[in-house]
Amino acid sequence: MGRFISNFKLQGDKVIWIIIFLLSIISLLVVYSSTGTLAYKVKGGNTSYFFIKQLVLLLGCYFIIWVTHKIPYKHYSSWANMGLFIAIGMLLLAKIVGVNLNQASRWITIPGIGFNFQPSELAKLALILFVSRILSKFQTDRECQKEAFWKIIAAIGVVCGIIFLDDFSTSALLGGICLMLMFIGRIAAKYLLGTFGAGLGLIIILLIIAPFLPNSFGRIHTVRNRILNFAGIGEKKTDDGRNYQVDQAKIAVVSGGIIGKGPGNSDQRNFLPHPYSDFIYAIILEELGWFGGFGILALYLFLIYRAGSIVRKCDRTFPAFLVIGLSLSIVAQALTNMAVSVNLIPVTGQPLPLVSMGGTSLIFTSAALGMILSVSRSVKEQEELNHAED
Amino acid sequence: MWRVGVCYTLIVLLAFCVVSRVVYLQVFEGDDWRGRAQSISKKDITVYANRGDICAADGRLLASSIPYYELRMDFQAMGLTNDIFKKNVDSLAICLSRFFGDKSSSAYRRQLWDAKFHSTRNRYVLINQRKVNYNELKQIKTFPLFRLSSNKGGLICLQESKRVQPHINLASRTIGYLNKGNGNELIGKVGLEGLFENELKGIDGISMMQKMSGKWLPVNQADPKDGNDIITTIDVNFQDVAQSALLQQLQAYHADHGSAILMEVETGAIKAIANLGLDSETNKYEEIYNYAIGEATEPGSTFKLASIMALLEDGYVQPTDSIDTGNGIHRFYKDKMRDSHVGGYGMISVQEAFEKSSNVGISKLVNQHYKDKPRDFINRLSAFRLNKTLDLDIKGEGRPKIKYPGEEGWSGISLPWMSIGYEVQQTPLQTLCFYNAIANNGKMMKPIFVHEIKYHGKVLKHFDEEVLKNSLCSRETLRKVKSMLEGVVLRGTATNLRNSSYSIAGKTGTAQIADKNKGYGHKVYQASFAGYFPADAPKYSCVVVINSPDKKKGFYGNQVAGPVFKTIADKVYAMTYAMHPPKQDEQICEIKVPISLNGNKDDLDIVFKELNVSIDDREVYGDWVLTSRQDSIIKYKNRIINNHLVPNVKGMGIQDALYILENAGLKVKINGFGSVKKQSLNPGSNFRSGDLIYIELS
Repeated sequence: MGRFISNFKLQGDKVIWIIIFLLSIISLLVVYSSTGTLAYKVKGGNTSYFFIKQLVLLLGCYFIIWVTHKIPYKHYSSWANMGLFIAIGMLLLAKIVGVNLNQASRWITIPGIGFNFQPSELAKLALILFVSRILSKFQTDRECQKEAFWKIIAAIGVVCGIIFLDDFSTSALLGGICLMLMFIGRIAAKYLLGTFGAGLGLIIILLIIAPFLPNSFGRIHTVRNRILNFAGIGEKKTDDGRNYQVDQAKIAVVSGGIIGKGPGNSDQRNFLPHPYSDFIYAIILEELGWFGGFGILALYLFLIYRAGSIVRKCDRTFPAFLVIGLSLSIVAQALTNMAVSVNLIPVTGQPLPLVSMGGTSLIFTSAALGMILSVSRSVKEQEELNHAED
Repeated sequence: MWRVGVCYTLIVLLAFCVVSRVVYLQVFEGDDWRGRAQSISKKDITVYANRGDICAADGRLLASSIPYYELRMDFQAMGLTNDIFKKNVDSLAICLSRFFGDKSSSAYRRQLWDAKFHSTRNRYVLINQRKVNYNELKQIKTFPLFRLSSNKGGLICLQESKRVQPHINLASRTIGYLNKGNGNELIGKVGLEGLFENELKGIDGISMMQKMSGKWLPVNQADPKDGNDIITTIDVNFQDVAQSALLQQLQAYHADHGSAILMEVETGAIKAIANLGLDSETNKYEEIYNYAIGEATEPGSTFKLASIMALLEDGYVQPTDSIDTGNGIHRFYKDKMRDSHVGGYGMISVQEAFEKSSNVGISKLVNQHYKDKPRDFINRLSAFRLNKTLDLDIKGEGRPKIKYPGEEGWSGISLPWMSIGYEVQQTPLQTLCFYNAIANNGKMMKPIFVHEIKYHGKVLKHFDEEVLKNSLCSRETLRKVKSMLEGVVLRGTATNLRNSSYSIAGKTGTAQIADKNKGYGHKVYQASFAGYFPADAPKYSCVVVINSPDKKKGFYGNQVAGPVFKTIADKVYAMTYAMHPPKQDEQICEIKVPISLNGNKDDLDIVFKELNVSIDDREVYGDWVLTSRQDSIIKYKNRIINNHLVPNVKGMGIQDALYILENAGLKVKINGFGSVKKQSLNPGSNFRSGDLIYIELS
C-alpha cells in the first residue's frame, strides 16, 4: 500500500489527505457562493473571480503540502530558531510599515506581487515549531527541565506581546496552544498555572483601563467593545439595540435548518460582513445545514484524532509535540471560527482553516498540514522498515 | 499520553458546545430569527402610478401632475469605495455648487466629506433641499460619481409629483387639491380631486426587490396602472367669465365672499362654478371655500318663487288677483313685516307683488291661505324638493332647512317669514337647481360636474344626466311663474338686466342674514339673483350670491348680484349663439393626413400609429419633434430643447408645451385653446427659473 502512495508521490496518512481534499471542496463551494457581494464591490460583478482565485490558491496549497510533507521533519526542528527570528522580525516590520486594515497593522504588502501577507500566521507556525523543539530538547525521563519553561515563556512573551495589541484573538489562541503544548510537554503545573494566571490578569487589567488608553494603543478598544457587546451591555450597533453581525449570523444559522438551503442559495451572504472568512461557518450552516456544518466539525475532530494516532506511533518527542501542537492549533482556530459564527464567544476574526478565503492563512495551514504529514510519512517509513527487519 | 487526552477532551467539549448551540438556536430561537430573515432580504418598493388629469369639457387641462425629484446620496453604496469617492469628490462638489448656486464648492466638499467619513447616518443623505425637475435630473446624472450606476455613485432620486393647475385659480375649489395622507402619499381631499380620488390615483405598482450578490434586484414586478382622466363639465371660457365677473363685483362692493354657478338647463351640467372669498391675510379674493355647494343660508326673496308656486298650485290665487300691501308695513303679532319700497305699493296684483318683490304682499297671501293648515304649505315646499340635499357626489354639501309645524323653533310668524325666504336655508346650488327646473319645464335635474372618465383617451364611463324630480308643478303654474320671472326683469326689481338682444328671466334676492363670523346679533346683507336665459327657450340657468357687500355702496340683489348675472349671461349668450362656428366636416374629409401638432415623439408615434399614418423619423434622435406633412406621410424633424434657454413650444399641444415649460422652470399662464400660437418669451432667449411665460393657444 505504501508503494502505491509513493507512486503518486503523496505519502503520509491517507485519512488526513482525504480530510484536506474534502475541506478544500467545501471551501470552493462556499467561497464561490459567499463572494458575490464582494465581487460586486471590487470586481464589477465578476463573480467567478474569487472562485478562480481560491481554486488557484488551493492548488498552490496542495503543492505546499506536497513539498512540506516530503521534507524530513528533522529539518523543521533545525529551522525552528531561524523561523522564529524571521517571524519576529516581520511582525515588527508590519507594525512599522504595515498596511493598516481595520485599524490593525497586521499586514505586509509583498512588493512586486501586491500580495498582502500576514506575518502573525508565520509567527504562529514558527512559535509552535520552536516550543516543540525546546520541549523535546529539555525533556528528561520524569519531566521537562525548568530552563525550557523560561525559554518558551520568553518566546511566547515576545511573539504574543507584539501580536496582542493588533490581533487579540490570535495572540490569545496562540498563547493557549503553547500552554497546552507545555502541559503535554510535562512542564510543571505550578509554572503553567502561574503563566495562565499572569496572562489572564494582564488581559483583564488592559481591558479595564482600555477607555483611558490613547487611540493609538492598538485595537484594545475594539476588543473591549466586542466583549461588552457579547455581554449585552456594549455600545449598540443596530436600530433595535442588537449587534448587527451577530444577528445576521444567527439568522443564517437558523434559516439553514437541518438540511440547509443548498449550495449557492445563501441569503445571509448579502448581509453578513466577511461571509467568506470570519463568518463562513454561518454560511456553511445556512447552505449545507447540519450535514455540512456538523460534517465539517467532524472532519476537524477526525484530523486531531488521526494526529493523535500518528503521535502514538512516534518514538521521538519532537515530532510528537509538533504534530500535537500544529493539529491543536488548526482545530482550535476552526472551533474559534465556529464559536463566533454561532455566537458562543465575542466576535473575532479567525478564519476557518483551509476553508476561508485568505491567502496567508491557507498557505501556513497547508504548511502545518504538510509538516504533520511529513511526520506521518516518516512514522510509516519507520514502520515499514521495522516490518522489513522483522 | 493522559495529558494529550485532557487536551483532546477539552477540544471535544468545545465541539459539543458548538453543536448544541446550533441546535439551541434552531429549536428555541428559530421562529424569531426566521421572521427577521424574511424582513431583511426582501423589500417591496412602491412604483407610483401617474395621477390622471382633470380636464375641462373640451379636453383642456385643469389639473395635471408633473414629476419632481428629491436628490439623496447613499454614502455606503456597495461600489462607492473610498478611492472612487476621494477621486471624484472635488469635481462633484464643484458641479453641485454650480448647479444649485447656493453654497461654495468647498462647502459642498465639506458636506460630502463629512457625510462619508464622519457621520454615522450616511445613508440616503439629502444633497439639497431643492427638488429638481426631469431635465435637471438628466443634467445631474452627468456629474462625476452620479454618472456611475447608483450602486457605485450612490445617487438616489426619489420621484415626487407636483399637481399643477395650468389655468391658475380657475374653479380651483371645485377641482380641488391634494393633501398628505396617512402615509406620505398625496391624496385628493377636496372637490373633484377628492371625489374622483379612486379614479385619478391609478393603481400603484409593486416591485419586489431581493438583495442578491450585493444588489437589489427586482424579482417580481406588478406594473403601475396610470390613473384615469376626468373630463369635467366645466367650460373654461365660461368659467373664466363667471370668475372675472364675480371678482369684479366683489371688489367693487368690498363684499366678503360670493359665488356664481352656471348650469346647462337641459342636462344639469355645471359649466362654470366660481367661489371667491376675501383672504384676510392677503386681502385678495381667492377660492378659499366652496360656498356654492357648502354654504346654506337664508335665501331671501329668491325663495318667493316657491311661495307663489305653492299658492298657484293649490289654486288659492291667480296672478291677476289683487292684494293690498298698504303702506308697506304689516304686523304679524308683534313683528313688523316691511317692504323695501318705503311707503308701500298700495293695492297691487299678485303678479306685481312678485315682480316688485313685495314682502308684505307675498307674506300676507301665504299667511292668509295657509295660517290654519301650515302643513300644506310645507308639504308643497317638500314637493318642490326644497327640503332635500341634491345627493351630490362631491362632499360637503350644505343641508337645506325647511321647518315643519310643531318642530322646535316653529312660531306664529314662521309661516309669513318663511314665505319670503327667512327661517329657511338653501345653498346657492340648491336655489339654482330649483330655478333650473322651472326653466326645464318643471323637470329638476341633478347637477353634474363630470362628463366622462377616460383612460389614455378611451372612454371608460359616461355620466348621464340624472333627473331628481320629473315634474315640480302643473303646466299651468309653470306658464304663470315663467311670466312672473320674466316680469321681474321687464317691469320689476331687475330692470337693469333688461336688454334688447335676448330676454332674461329671474328673481332678485336681498336678505339680511346672520354673519357667520360674528353671530346672530350682527346682520349682514346677502344679495342674490337666480334665473335663466334666454327666457323664451332657456339654455342656461345661473345663480349669483354675494355675501356682505359694503352697505354704503349698495346691497340690493339687482344692484350687487344682478350685474354679475348679466355679464355672464351676455358673454355666454354671445359665445353660444353669435359665435357659433360654421361646420367644416366636408373639408376635413378631403385631408388624408391629419395636420399634426409638434410634441413628444413617443406620444405622436402612438397617435399616428392609431391613425395608420406613415411616419418618416429618419432624422430624429431626441424626444421632441416638429412635424410636417409631405404628401401622405408625416415627417419628423428634431426640435432642440435647451435647458438654459426658453424652449420653443409653438405648434405644440397644451400638455406637451406645459410639460416642457414647467420642466424648464418657467411659470406658465395659458390663454385660449388648441395648439400654441404665441409665446411671450422668445425661443432661445435667456430666462431665470420662476419667470412667467404667457402662451396663447388657438
